[in-house]
Amino acid sequence: MRWPVLARRDQVLRGGQPLAFGVGLVVALAVGVFLLLGSGHDPLRVYARMFDASLGDPRAWSVTLNRAVPLGLAGLAVAVAGSMGLWNIGAEGQIMAGAMGAAWVARIGGGWPGPVLVTAMLAAAVVGGGLLALGPAIARARIGVNEIITTLMLNEVAIRLVQWLVHGRWKDPGSHNFPLAPMLPDNGRLPTLFERAHLGVVLAGIVIALFGLAVSRTAWGYELRVAGSSGATARYAGISLKRKILTVMVLSGGVAGFAGGVELSGNADRITEGLSNGFGFAGIIVAALALMRPSGVAAVALLFGAVQIGGQSIQTMGVSSSVSTILQALILFGAIAAGVLGRYRIQMVAGDTVETPSTGVES
Amino acid sequence: MNPPPDDAPPAPAVELSGIWKRFPGVVANAGAHLKVRTGTVHAVLGENGAGKSTLMNVLSGVYRPDEGEVRIDGVVHHFRSPSDALAAGVGMVHQEFRLVPSFTVAENVVLGAAERIVRRPAVESAVAELAERFGLATEPDRPVWQLSMGERQRVEILKALWRDARILILDEPTAVLTPGEADELGRILRHMADDDRTVVFISHKLHEVTGFCDEATVLRGGETVAASLPVSETDSSALAGLMVGSSPVISERPPPVVAGGPKLEVVGLGCLDDRGLQALHGVDLTVRAGEIVGIAGVAGNGQRELAQAIAGLRPTTGGTVHMDGMDLTAATPRQRFGAGLGYIPEDRMGVGLAPRLSVTDNAILRTYSTHRRGPFLDHEAAVAHCRDLVERFAVRTGPLDQPIAGLSGGNLQRLLVGRELSGRPGVVLAAQPTRGLDVQGVKAIQDLLVAERGAGVAILLISEDLDELLTLTDRLLVMHGGRVVAEFDPELAGRHEIGEAMVGHPPVGAASA
Repeated sequence: MRWPVLARRDQVLRGGQPLAFGVGLVVALAVGVFLLLGSGHDPLRVYARMFDASLGDPRAWSVTLNRAVPLGLAGLAVAVAGSMGLWNIGAEGQIMAGAMGAAWVARIGGGWPGPVLVTAMLAAAVVGGGLLALGPAIARARIGVNEIITTLMLNEVAIRLVQWLVHGRWKDPGSHNFPLAPMLPDNGRLPTLFERAHLGVVLAGIVIALFGLAVSRTAWGYELRVAGSSGATARYAGISLKRKILTVMVLSGGVAGFAGGVELSGNADRITEGLSNGFGFAGIIVAALALMRPSGVAAVALLFGAVQIGGQSIQTMGVSSSVSTILQALILFGAIAAGVLGRYRIQMVAGDTVETPSTGVES
Repeated sequence: MNPPPDDAPPAPAVELSGIWKRFPGVVANAGAHLKVRTGTVHAVLGENGAGKSTLMNVLSGVYRPDEGEVRIDGVVHHFRSPSDALAAGVGMVHQEFRLVPSFTVAENVVLGAAERIVRRPAVESAVAELAERFGLATEPDRPVWQLSMGERQRVEILKALWRDARILILDEPTAVLTPGEADELGRILRHMADDDRTVVFISHKLHEVTGFCDEATVLRGGETVAASLPVSETDSSALAGLMVGSSPVISERPPPVVAGGPKLEVVGLGCLDDRGLQALHGVDLTVRAGEIVGIAGVAGNGQRELAQAIAGLRPTTGGTVHMDGMDLTAATPRQRFGAGLGYIPEDRMGVGLAPRLSVTDNAILRTYSTHRRGPFLDHEAAVAHCRDLVERFAVRTGPLDQPIAGLSGGNLQRLLVGRELSGRPGVVLAAQPTRGLDVQGVKAIQDLLVAERGAGVAILLISEDLDELLTLTDRLLVMHGGRVVAEFDPELAGRHEIGEAMVGHPPVGAASA
């Protein structure tokens, strides 16, 4: 009797990751057929709508691209830390910190020319995100405090801070006592590229490309990758881990903060407590799917954005939001699972059961 | 059940036949066989890479063989997991212990094999009783983190016995033990054999085999070259011959070279170990140009810390390190490399190499800051440097942009040693440079060190292999308890004297710090 078992591949398949995503997507859609049939919908029509709404025409593309921007930047933030073996779970809060910085600049710079104001807002966003990551960075570099815990807990701080501002100091006097911050001034908005897509798409693309290049091609990125592979090896090679941890964590926070600034200036009317919208946590999934490589983040974010936009669009067809969410989860799960399984191959081996004694040799 | 006829010999406890096991690029077992009689201590011998561990993993259910048959007490088994093997009475004590440090001895022993509710007093007395029966001195209520390596190993053995293993496999059990503890282990194993249990003992230390084993099976290149030799009818040199076949185990003693002036001078060096205890108590040593100075000692007597302190990877608590008269005591690892110190660390994968990075990335670990164009790494220069290393040091490797983790131990070490030597060092600090390599790999590394010596490099060689030290070194220092306690001329020294010095009894009049 021969049985299939999984054996680890000794070499990573070239181009295996995109292929695995495709396979995962197909499997997830196939499973989704039963889900949709069970809830009384025509799977083909639902899938067609998902595709049309996310990738069907330029307008759909623009919406998907806008969604991919915060996902990609948050994913990049996680991946930059991740390539050194650090976990920044605080992108959600850093997005908020960035948005706060940008919103603050928008409050004082209402009369500035558009390009100046937007640039200042984005710079403040980077600083805000970086500042929120500074504490965990110092604690980790100096005395080895686990950055997972510290960054995670600061999420709550940043989100509550926005709530406090929106309910208090930043509350719009003209909002009839609703807890809303004032609308952004028009000169604080990112220009539009096409349809709904804003300039942030290009900015995010540039930032991701720059980091991709920096990590894979520069001496700085090399040191980062050595440190991510083994801290002891980095010390052996003469790399200062403390400085590295500090810069990488702050940069990671800065990138997440940038995502907050772009989201505020490009997509939102005003800062709200829902602005970060789970992008920071989704960024962890994006980075994991991109195998912590900054260069892979853009493609994954696009896929992720399309799934989210497509998933939301089918709710207008009467598909309940829970079914839509399960479908989105299935697709991501399929892609992640296929990515992991792609590192194995199937091998046939002999035998599976303990056979019964043929001769009685027990005394 | 048909009982066997009375005159037929009882089925052997273990019978492995025609075992094949292939891994990508490696045939670990090529039709190996093994027969172990019940109630004996059976040694499985072979060099690193001979297939011992693979064969034992097949026997204990960790691996499934590609081909071949596993019989326990005459019954064919197809183990799918270690628990299947355990159900058939086969228990394995791994080299790395699998214990929960914060649990007590008794809790570790019954972990996973206990009733749902553990009544501690009852379990503790049951474990104490079991330990008593096999002469395994232990305190069931002590947490494991307080125990020495030898005591932890006894807990591992108890775990197997608690699960009623009748066949016990020990994978290089003495590697972590002091000589005294090793003797004690031998006594325990004999005791178990007398109780009609069967012990399979993996080792490459011959004196242990002749000390307390009944029979020995020798593996070489994945095949069985000698099966079930009665130990009483053979001797260690015959076994050694079988293990290594025709290839020489140790290089020839290199011709003498007139040593030059002092290159590396260490004076009164002190440092702490990982637990914060004093590991070095004022070590003095000098290595001159064109000389190999060896450091012998039982593991854990400060050799590791000495290497790290000289390399700049461990803060010192006193003393100085000079190279060519330059004070490097406070220098960073990179400054030391720049000053001509090549360092081959004991832990290749975790310290000397970055496992997740490519062959090229690893080749430039020391020199990447010179392969630059602005902020960018000069990729072509890096690849050229890597090609050069791979060719000059005969590294067998796949694509250079693939992760280094796919290389074999010998090739990893060639790359690492090559990288260190390519910096044209004046001093080479080599910690366990040949440990775990196959014969060819050992020879290659030893030849490289000897060639460097011939070129006037000063080499400090820290090794646990006394034969290697006796063959290669010009002077041999022995460390004990964080001090250099004796110096020997390796051509004149007796093993016995060196052994005595290693356990803290230096000969009268020997150098002491």
